[in-house]
Amino acid sequence: MRGEDLKLFAAIIQKAASGRTCALATIVGTKGSTPRKVGTKMLVDPADGLLGTVGGGCGEADVIAAAREVIEDGVPRLVEVDLTKDLLSWSPAVCGGIMEVFVEAIPPTGKPPTSGE
Amino acid sequence: MTDPVISAVSAEIIVAALHEGGRAAALVVVEGPRSVLGQRILATALPGKDAEVHGELSDPIYAAQARELVLAGCSDDPSAPAEGMHTLASTTDEARSDGSLRVYLELHSPQPELLVVGAGHIAQPLVALGAMLDFRVRVLDDRPEFATHERFPEADEVLRVDFSDPFKEIPIHSGSHIVMVTRGHKYDYECVRRLMLSPVQPMYVGMIGSRRRVRATFSQLLDEGISRERLATVRAPLGLDLGAETPAEIAVAVMAEIVLLWRGGSGMPLADRERVLERFFTEDA
Repeated sequence: MRGEDLKLFAAIIQKAASGRTCALATIVGTKGSTPRKVGTKMLVDPADGLLGTVGGGCGEADVIAAAREVIEDGVPRLVEVDLTKDLLSWSPAVCGGIMEVFVEAIPPTGKPPTSGE
Repeated sequence: MTDPVISAVSAEIIVAALHEGGRAAALVVVEGPRSVLGQRILATALPGKDAEVHGELSDPIYAAQARELVLAGCSDDPSAPAEGMHTLASTTDEARSDGSLRVYLELHSPQPELLVVGAGHIAQPLVALGAMLDFRVRVLDDRPEFATHERFPEADEVLRVDFSDPFKEIPIHSGSHIVMVTRGHKYDYECVRRLMLSPVQPMYVGMIGSRRRVRATFSQLLDEGISRERLATVRAPLGLDLGAETPAEIAVAVMAEIVLLWRGGSGMPLADRERVLERFFTEDA
């Protein structure tokens, strides 16, 4: 078990109990060299900000944008983050890989997920 | 029919299972028809009990396969499916435009534990680094003036034990990392002996000491009939060769070795491995 996951799970449980919808981003697939591996998670709370990181830099900005949409409409998304571009930008995201990040809403406990037709 | 499990409930189930020393596997649909997208089921296996499935995908075409995958995922069998993406194919002959689902399988085993045996100078930075690296940290000693919470604010537990049977109260499992930094050879010997006689193979067993001290301990254990193969799993002297001198430096060297074995690195400086200047830029252009 990645111990950092335990902290994140504790946060998920606590956020869901707070009655606010947050978003969870998980790296579910990678190709090439990526800053973080499969299974890495980031929690996006519209009120409190981020917990954890899926890699930092421009890639993470795409994930945060997707998280906002997911919190808005409740529909999960699979986001492809391409880190092969901008090799010469001095962003910490310059690693050269591609990762698939699954972004889903964490609805408040006791309320069913809003995904579906 | 049961429903899929929502993320917060899933987190609660996983945390509870791991707390009891169990394993968990969670599956979430990341690509497929909207009706099942984002649905999640999981399985947990507690020690000595049958695995249990929580939730069910709402589409019966995939529900059984998903169940099988999470059940296989939470077994400790080496042939268990890997963490990552899997495809569930439609099991019916009916032609469907959305003939398969992509699911992400996540596997959870108990939180790694760092057990620091001996509560002296090196134990302090070891405990601090262990906590920083997200280990569940326990430190033990037989001296009450050393085994105190004041000396180890980051430790999850500080225990006073008798070194003749130090692990009596402490369950050792495959996720245990045991670092022996006791004050004397006879304590190391007793601790390693106990570990070698147990059928459980911890993730890491390391013992500090000079070549002489390690040699004396090994010699005694071999005389006692402990097998060479088993003794070969003990990292002694422990840690990477960083040229460490102070207790904090030694703790860094030890924890670096633990991370290295955990993550499967080479231990080589990356600059020496990659040699970017040498390989990609010729001297006389």
